Amino acid sequence: MASIAASFCLLGVLLAIYVALFLTGDDSPAGARRLVTRNRISLTQIMPISYEAKIRQVPGVETVMAYQWFGGVYKEPKNFFARFACEPESLFKIYPEYRIPEEEKRAFQADRAGTVLGRDLANKFNIKTGDKITLKGDIFPIDLEFNVRGLFDADKNEEVMWFNIDYLWKSLPADRRDFAGTYLILAQSAEDGPAIAQQIDSLFRNAQVQTRTESESAFAASFVNFLGNVKLYLFMISAAITFTILLVCGNTVAMSVRERVREVGIMKTLGFTNGEVLGMILGEATVISLLGGFFGCVVAWLLCRGVAANAGGFANLEGMTLSPWMWVAVIAAAVVMGTAAAIVPALGASRTEIVEAMRYSG
Amino acid sequence: MREAVIEARKLTKIYKRDEFEVRALDNCDIEIHRGEFVALMGPSGSGKSTLMHLIAAMDRATSGRIAVLGEDLAELDDAELARWRNRHIGFIFQQFNLIPVLTALENVELPLKLTSMNGKERQRQAETALKLVGLDDRLTHFPRQLSGGQEQRVAIARAIATDPDILIADEPTGNLDAQSAKDVMTMLQKLNRDFGKTIIMVTHDRHAAEYATMIRHLEKGELKPEIEYPQA
Repeated sequence: MASIAASFCLLGVLLAIYVALFLTGDDSPAGARRLVTRNRISLTQIMPISYEAKIRQVPGVETVMAYQWFGGVYKEPKNFFARFACEPESLFKIYPEYRIPEEEKRAFQADRAGTVLGRDLANKFNIKTGDKITLKGDIFPIDLEFNVRGLFDADKNEEVMWFNIDYLWKSLPADRRDFAGTYLILAQSAEDGPAIAQQIDSLFRNAQVQTRTESESAFAASFVNFLGNVKLYLFMISAAITFTILLVCGNTVAMSVRERVREVGIMKTLGFTNGEVLGMILGEATVISLLGGFFGCVVAWLLCRGVAANAGGFANLEGMTLSPWMWVAVIAAAVVMGTAAAIVPALGASRTEIVEAMRYSG
Repeated sequence: MREAVIEARKLTKIYKRDEFEVRALDNCDIEIHRGEFVALMGPSGSGKSTLMHLIAAMDRATSGRIAVLGEDLAELDDAELARWRNRHIGFIFQQFNLIPVLTALENVELPLKLTSMNGKERQRQAETALKLVGLDDRLTHFPRQLSGGQEQRVAIARAIATDPDILIADEPTGNLDAQSAKDVMTMLQKLNRDFGKTIIMVTHDRHAAEYATMIRHLEKGELKPEIEYPQA
């Protein structure tokens, strides 16, 4: 049963990864309204800050904010978390789900060197409001010291640090200022999103720096594509696992039946018919598969929790979980595969002649 | 004249082993009456186990006719034969053949699951059978927790639980020490004498055969003339 549980655990984890990467978006009302504009060529290429004002003019845009991935190192390279430069006045409009005391919000907006952190992140590194923290630059050749002005709570992905983009610009040489890696846009309604994205990209179609605008969840998913054709990999691995599970189930049941040929003979001697023996073996295989599927799901759920807790905001993985329908799907697959794999050995065993079965010494 | 419960005429069984044919039983005629205790003896390969398998409906004859309790076994299909075995035959094997994951009580209950009895009746009947073989203090023991003699007594309890007409014993003392063998044979003799069970026992053991009312010898698939013994 352990081998069956391990196989279905893998299947469950893959399913959860697929759903987290490709089928999960930010389902908060504001999340559905958020769009991201980036350089059409690559995320690593910047855009002029002048684009912000033009994007703001697009009908349906409620708020727009320039933001920039800073990278850097906090104490040690292993302390990885998301660090973004942003426009403090717009941050809480675009992320209304961030819950922060009003005085901390104002303190952050008033202090150019101020920063706000998600509470999970602060707890992880034992950072408190009023502390000073330093990020050593790697993408940017500067070290920045920040005053922690507040901690915010959110429903998910609290492992983020936000600071003032003006602080970043002012710390850089004059010829490297006034740019943005990305623009975060809040549309007036989720339905307007596709049209706004199209209009923004049309706006810069003939410009030197062209843009690509997409929903925030699609933007997050695009990070996964840096790893290659992940969908295909996941599909291929899932197919291989499914095939392996069939072999494992078949082998497990076949072994269990082989070990019990004599027992089958005894049952038939006592008056059990071929059909009853067949039903018994199939029933047993189904129960074993059911339990294997269930325990596989339990382990997969624990693994998903582990991954989600350590995802650091990468590509929706913080929302990775084994939802109820996945439990049902994996356990149902376990039952179907276990029963299917048992049919041939069960038929063989049930049809074994009593005298042959009784001669079998196992 | 006593009723014949087993009547076999020109019973033949041929096994195919690759391209060879093995004539395990050759034109065998036998008649066994209700209440007899018959020991089938003979060297290995003489056909005694084959005859026992045919009488117990565990196998089908290649040719000839066998009627047990008036039923022509050739006319029953596999499922009917299975139910017929459950109702009329009790089995005792050399290797006990208990289900290792079931307790003594559950092992004895097993053939009763195919009857119309409910759970409580089954349990009561199984407990009675185990009491009859002196194991009412071992109901919840698993086979591995019992001695060989006790295991064989559980097997006897299972064989009599459905109150069958015929008991089939295949080398019942083959795996037992002398004292346990004596106990088991005494028990079979009691079932024959006091409960009128017809018993057919395959054995190599002369001491065990002495408990039978009749000994039939087989050699090379042929049945030798009968010898009747007064019971010990």
